[in-house]
Amino acid sequence: MYLLEQLINGICQGSIYALMAIGYAVIYGVVGLVTFTYGEIIMMGSFSAFYYFILFGDNLFFALIAGFITAAVVGIVVHKVCYQRFLDAPRYISLICTIGMSMFLKNFATIVFGSEMKGMPSFLSGKFIEIGTIRVGYLQLLIIGIVILLSLLLTLYLKKTRMGMKLRAVSQDKKAAALVGINVKTTTLIGNCIGCGLGGVAGILLGVYYNSVLPTMGGMAGLKAFSSMVLGGLGSIGGSAIGGVLIGVVENLGIALTSSGLRDVFAFLLLVLVLVIRPQGLFGKKGN
Amino acid sequence: MGVLLQTKNISKYYGGIKAVQNIDMQVEEGEIFGIIGPNGAGKTSFFNVCTGNLQPNGGEVWFDGKNITGLRPARIATMGIARTFQNIQLFNFMTVLENVKIGFHTHEKTNIADAILHTKRYKEDERLTHEKAVSLIDRLGLTKESDNLAGNLAYGVQRRVEIARALALEPKILLLDEPAAGMNPIETRDLSDFIKQLRKDGHTIVVIEHDMKFVMNLCDRIMVINFGKKICEGGPAHVKADKEVNEAYFGKGTTF
Amino acid sequence: MIEKLKDFYNKRKTIVMLIILAAAVALPFVVSKGSVMSLIVRIMFYVILASSLNIINGYSGQFNIGHAGFVLIGSYTLSILAQSGWPIWLLFVVSGIVSSIVGFLISLPTLRLRGIYLALVTLGFSEILRLVALNWTSLTGGPMGIKGIPAPWFFGLRATSPHNYYFIVLLFVVLCLFTSYRVINSKVGRAWLSIREDDHAAMSLGVDIRKYKALNFMFGAFWAGVGGALMAPFYTFIDSSMFSLDEGFNILSMVIIGGQGTLLGPVVGSVVVNLTTEIFRFANEARLLVYAVMIIAMMWLRPQGIAGTSRSVIANRSLGRDRGAFFKKILKKKEVK
Repeated sequence: MYLLEQLINGICQGSIYALMAIGYAVIYGVVGLVTFTYGEIIMMGSFSAFYYFILFGDNLFFALIAGFITAAVVGIVVHKVCYQRFLDAPRYISLICTIGMSMFLKNFATIVFGSEMKGMPSFLSGKFIEIGTIRVGYLQLLIIGIVILLSLLLTLYLKKTRMGMKLRAVSQDKKAAALVGINVKTTTLIGNCIGCGLGGVAGILLGVYYNSVLPTMGGMAGLKAFSSMVLGGLGSIGGSAIGGVLIGVVENLGIALTSSGLRDVFAFLLLVLVLVIRPQGLFGKKGN
Repeated sequence: MGVLLQTKNISKYYGGIKAVQNIDMQVEEGEIFGIIGPNGAGKTSFFNVCTGNLQPNGGEVWFDGKNITGLRPARIATMGIARTFQNIQLFNFMTVLENVKIGFHTHEKTNIADAILHTKRYKEDERLTHEKAVSLIDRLGLTKESDNLAGNLAYGVQRRVEIARALALEPKILLLDEPAAGMNPIETRDLSDFIKQLRKDGHTIVVIEHDMKFVMNLCDRIMVINFGKKICEGGPAHVKADKEVNEAYFGKGTTF
Repeated sequence: MIEKLKDFYNKRKTIVMLIILAAAVALPFVVSKGSVMSLIVRIMFYVILASSLNIINGYSGQFNIGHAGFVLIGSYTLSILAQSGWPIWLLFVVSGIVSSIVGFLISLPTLRLRGIYLALVTLGFSEILRLVALNWTSLTGGPMGIKGIPAPWFFGLRATSPHNYYFIVLLFVVLCLFTSYRVINSKVGRAWLSIREDDHAAMSLGVDIRKYKALNFMFGAFWAGVGGALMAPFYTFIDSSMFSLDEGFNILSMVIIGGQGTLLGPVVGSVVVNLTTEIFRFANEARLLVYAVMIIAMMWLRPQGIAGTSRSVIANRSLGRDRGAFFKKILKKKEVK
């Protein structure tokens, strides 16, 4: 039964990872570059919610919106500094730039927000439903629900709106998209911002779930997001989501079987194994 | 003069597409052998099977009396098969001299310990490689360009550098993948003369092309491929007269 | 001006090298402050670490961002075995060898991978190593780390002061750069370059890609391990937090800022980065902001690094795409000069 509860924990955690991974997949798909700043964007989203709660009270809904917007704005800065200029350059130049940017954001946050851990207000604590002998927290259900909702909204957006179509076109072939008159520059910017926004929301969920916000939380979060995306298949949004859930589940089951100190080892082991055995991920196509 | 390179019943499929079907080929030592066919006929796939870059779905490749089917490209290169690439894959940001020197890789024996300690083996390798590289560059008329970055050279010169690099392997056979691609008639003719000179120097050469004239003037024997199958083989005159070949290139009711 | 310097250097390589060496040996006698000497020793450590990473990233074109893992192996190997009484001098070499073996093991499953996939695996391994070191308390002291690492004997004395330790590190820096130079200018180095430039063409010329990639990893890992081993007795204390991903990025930044693909690059990178972070030490976290800006500025203004050649940046195919437009700009600048 403990295992089943860990499974639920894994799914909940996994859905947060999934949301991060989806955001990352949007960025990677539209912009076409790997980035190391995503973790810090997640972190910024988290902090924006923290300050929102302090200033405006415990309204989760509006906090999520604030987080989305903040992360998207930070995303604009990242885009201008690290992506726009290097869209046609060897990839590792933008990569290094994002490493520098990540360092900047992390230390900036430490200076401005302070390095101590901060707590988030608790939502729906102590409330859970019982299925048989297992308890599932209301909060967990809420988180899973939010992620599912956002995923659906994203899918609708991509499939049904003009902008969504442009995003998809650019993610498939920038040159062709330019030829049919799509403004690639603006579209990549928007795609980046949407992905960042989703990351910001995920950061808030992470902060609320663990009741802790740290300027250094970005590192691991970003890596997990990236790993989820690679696991699912680079650039595949659905695959990334599944990858995220998978990593969350594997992590929590792993902790159940060994010790919590090794939690992150499982994620990395999974990542390494997948890359070695099937580099294109579970749902990706062969050949980069 | 024996058979140097031979394929038996080679087939290569990509999913449902039969790129190469049951091709037998025999290249004699010392000849210039041409493989031609329209674009998409399967020439390059067949070629890549011979060089180990692709695994065949069926059939065997034999070289110098040994079965080389399924061996990796690097291994095949050490056995004496050198190749060039259709789109000229030079080491663009290295000089001509450096490019050619790498060609001698399989003839050098230096390992890390030798390199660190500057043993006799190292010194011998470096001296020999340098001498042979310079000599090869001179032989191909590239001396002027020796210290220029390969990527900055004119197309025709690049082609020659690539061949020089392939010759550095001191191969028994040289496989050229569309060497005349992108060349004007003068460059093409120079290339043709150059390949003939190579034959005089004792090399065996296989050329893939789809430029019919080039192949006719150059090759001793020709194999024509269309839709993955061999449709004709023989000397230039024989191939020229072949009905099926004419149809493949020009449609029914025409001749060269 | 730079051209003239280069010219002078090329003609009188040995003499220049000897002069630099003499200056390096004389350094501790000129510098009196222990703290300054400590900084110099620290710079030397990073010369080895950055050079070893440069061998992997700059010369064979493989993208390794998990270098901290190799350093960790070196540090911990020395620290753990020193507790059992192994002589420190021997441990410097042994740690390098152990790290090299780990490098080989890591390279095995990754030989087919390129670009970002390889980078991710190296990252994953680096973190796995760190987490294992953090949790395997009985072997590594867990989060407490290992304390009281003894200093090596040096002319009858324990080399505890920066002034003494400097000579030990100098010896290994010279060995590292010297062996790297010799290996690069040989069949092995040429094979590495060919892999970086175009591995398909390299294969067609008989270069055994897998062997040389593995060899490259082993060589880089060896020196990273030696570097890590050298650090342990100097700081007398190690723990897993010293080998985080950030540390890996730190070393990577030195290689990038200094310039990939040249022997001088990592040296320049180590000096510049360590000096800058030291100069801004008073500003605490802000100095890391300076570091971050430096990295970003480098990518904007001179992606090949201070001492790097544009060749090494453009050539790396595994991570490149259509290099065209972006680099026409850089190449044009060079031609105009």
